[in-house]
Amino acid sequence: MTEPGGSKTQNGTGLTLILTSPKRNLSNFGRGFLFKLNGWTLAALVIGLLIFIPMASVLWHLTSPSENWRHLEETVLTSYLKDSLILVLGTVFLSVVAGVSCAWLVSCCEFPGRKIFEWILVLPLAVPTFIAAYAYFDLLAIIEEKMIPLVIWTRTNSVEDLDTVIFLLDSLKYPVTMLVMASVLYPYVYLLARASFSRQGSQLIEAARTLGHSPRSIFFRVALPLARPAIVAGASLVVMETLNDYGAVKHFGISTFTNGIFRTWFALNDLSGALRLAALLMLFILSLLVVERLLRSGAKFEEKGNFARPFQRYRLGPTGATLAIACCLVPLTCGFLIPLGRLSLWASDSYRKILDSSFVELVANSLSLAVASSLLIVLTATFLAFAGRYFKSPGVHITNRLAILGYSVPGAVVAMAIMLVAGPLNLTLGILLTGSLLTLLFAYLIRFLAVAWQPVDSGMEKNCDLLNEASQSLKASPLVSLLKINLPLIRPSLWAAGLLVFVDTMKELPLTLILRPFNFETLSTRTYDLTNQAQIPESSVPAMCIILVVVFPVVWLNRKMEAPK
Amino acid sequence: MKSLLAIFFFLSAGLCVNAAEINVYSHRHYDSDAVLFKKFSQQTGVQVNVIKGSADQLIQRLISEGKNSPADILLTVDAGRLHRAKEAGILQPVESETLSQNVPESMRDPEGSWYGMTVRARVIVYAKGRVNPEELSSYEDLASSKWRARLAVRSSSNIYNQSLLASIIAANGPAKALSWAKAVRKNMVRAPRGSDRDQARAVASGLADVAVINTYYLGILANSTSAADREVARKVGVFFPNQNGRGAHVNVSGGGVTRSSKNKKDAIRFLEFLTSSESQQTFSAVNYEYPVKIENNRSDLLKSWGSFKADKVNLSILGSRNPEAVKTFDRAGWE
Repeated sequence: MTEPGGSKTQNGTGLTLILTSPKRNLSNFGRGFLFKLNGWTLAALVIGLLIFIPMASVLWHLTSPSENWRHLEETVLTSYLKDSLILVLGTVFLSVVAGVSCAWLVSCCEFPGRKIFEWILVLPLAVPTFIAAYAYFDLLAIIEEKMIPLVIWTRTNSVEDLDTVIFLLDSLKYPVTMLVMASVLYPYVYLLARASFSRQGSQLIEAARTLGHSPRSIFFRVALPLARPAIVAGASLVVMETLNDYGAVKHFGISTFTNGIFRTWFALNDLSGALRLAALLMLFILSLLVVERLLRSGAKFEEKGNFARPFQRYRLGPTGATLAIACCLVPLTCGFLIPLGRLSLWASDSYRKILDSSFVELVANSLSLAVASSLLIVLTATFLAFAGRYFKSPGVHITNRLAILGYSVPGAVVAMAIMLVAGPLNLTLGILLTGSLLTLLFAYLIRFLAVAWQPVDSGMEKNCDLLNEASQSLKASPLVSLLKINLPLIRPSLWAAGLLVFVDTMKELPLTLILRPFNFETLSTRTYDLTNQAQIPESSVPAMCIILVVVFPVVWLNRKMEAPK
Repeated sequence: MKSLLAIFFFLSAGLCVNAAEINVYSHRHYDSDAVLFKKFSQQTGVQVNVIKGSADQLIQRLISEGKNSPADILLTVDAGRLHRAKEAGILQPVESETLSQNVPESMRDPEGSWYGMTVRARVIVYAKGRVNPEELSSYEDLASSKWRARLAVRSSSNIYNQSLLASIIAANGPAKALSWAKAVRKNMVRAPRGSDRDQARAVASGLADVAVINTYYLGILANSTSAADREVARKVGVFFPNQNGRGAHVNVSGGGVTRSSKNKKDAIRFLEFLTSSESQQTFSAVNYEYPVKIENNRSDLLKSWGSFKADKVNLSILGSRNPEAVKTFDRAGWE
């Protein structure tokens, strides 16, 4: 078996998703035919393209004429950009601060409760951003209320300062939203940073120690630079999740790009303008991913010391330990304890009203949808990854890369893409594609293929590539290689992939909302419906259900991530 | 293999249309509707299948589904959206003696593409005690500098505000409407955020003195299970604006038969049922909306707000002026 250690951030969790580079296969270019066509590669090419077509149809609109484009440019485009940037930067900053400091504490320091914090800190991952926003729905109003005396005083005594006070009041929404989002998104940074810190091993850090560096200086001058690629990868996920969010930003009144897409589409009734905005957003995220990869390619030193003995943790004194515990408690409290606490409080009041036979159906719908999509997506990811790797087909490799782009765009844009493609198909084929569960599953496939792809593909790279070559030279059929060699070897990756998709589909809202069939409700659409009617207490029951169902796979995945140590 | 087949049938179930059912795309998320749908099924034996969603998304979906759409009925709030659906060609004109009798002429599409079902007035609410209702007069007056930093209104992404501005464009012309929107935005004490209910809460808490909201939200607050919300309803007063002029801005929620309907007969029956005087009382009792014939209102709560003169502008104009209203909001910087 080959040793892991080739490419970076391969922790087998899949959280790095589409961020891992292919860096292979082009050497085969001269030796073989570009596509290496056979039944397998042909099927993989077709499937990959099918998954990519809806995304491509959105990108196609990057320059499409829109009657309102000038109007958008003159009026609101800058404010969409401004709000998106402020929100993304703030949320990423907070997530990185919380994620990195907690990761450093649990992996490099020793204090009471460290082992518990190590896994408990990932729990906010189970809380979707829109549910976090509901749990904190009145936070902004409470702060505003504290400012009322100031507003009243200014109104009567100091009218010229009203602008300043109003500006202050208006600006409150930014920190509040950032805080709410970061408190459930920081685990992305935390997980990857922690994996990186614990992989750094002792050599460099002990060398720095013997050179007289203090722990603080070691953190800033050795550990942090080494973990930079992992932190950037985690931060990219936070960026994508922030831009994907629709519920929280709408609730707190922030006009992000995603909001603008909806406004242009629906309020201005301008689909092509909305698609152009969506295409811009996609382009922005894609370029961000390219930059991220460029940044990372210059950081190949990270894996040194991979198998060195683990780092001797700093033992913290009483003050240090108290501070460390406090530091870990803050994000945990904001991201999990408070939301879950408030939700359970409301749920204890309203569960009688909500828990009936139809609720069982909701749970069943959510679970079966999540299980079905996990199966479908893991199967597809495995097939595509195998076809690409086994036959070393550059063509398949390219279509695979294209097929996993869906994760980088907001769910609402994927839904738009599906409608765009399904509309003409509805009419020409005479079969109704929209509003069937099959379409919904296909939409999930587009959106979450990357989530399953990463662990499956890196699992195959680590464990199967050499053996596949051997089996090819022994003239074993591809099917035999897949079933007898690949699948058994990557079983843990398959589990991880399936669970990650499960978690994501359970939490998913916009796609399900737009594309679901008649009388079909899931826990997340029910939560959204109830909060839409301002029945926050009632909505807490399905919301809590999502969190409780998702917590188990999250904890299990976290375990898996620690195992390689 | 059997289970595979079962899965297939399960998945394709969405594609089948049974004669004894109607499929409804509905934007309305109210309890009153569930009650009425059930009643309709009991009376007629016609099963009612519902997809709830935002009207805009449902309209897009109807467009993309075209003639294959399973939907028979589109129910939504606001004439602006009903007009948009008609323009998109997804509704069909229907004629029915009963519907013409149940729904006043100003509350339905001239060609019968959609019919109003309930009426809501967009009114000014004020802080009792802090604001003398005599200070209030019209929507136009909210632009006056005396309301500086005292006003709360929700986002312009909301169609109720778009229709209000459309009615102001229709009444005063685009230029005056733009300066009105700018001045009103400047008078707001905070950037637009939250629902109509949140604006009422802002008035009750003292942050704002006046707000613009739809009437039925006050009913919901007054009958809320939360004591704090009931307190909000007690603290604010209702003022019907423009009573000396064109009247208060009213709008409908309503529905139409889709062009794709495979069961037009039952779809029309369904609309007739919803506009029948019996159903109309349910809307006002459960959801505090005015009946489509406002004078038929029997709800005491609604009566307590007083009778009022409603703007008689043809509601389909609100729809045709809607894009202009949205752009005006954009130019005014009203988020």
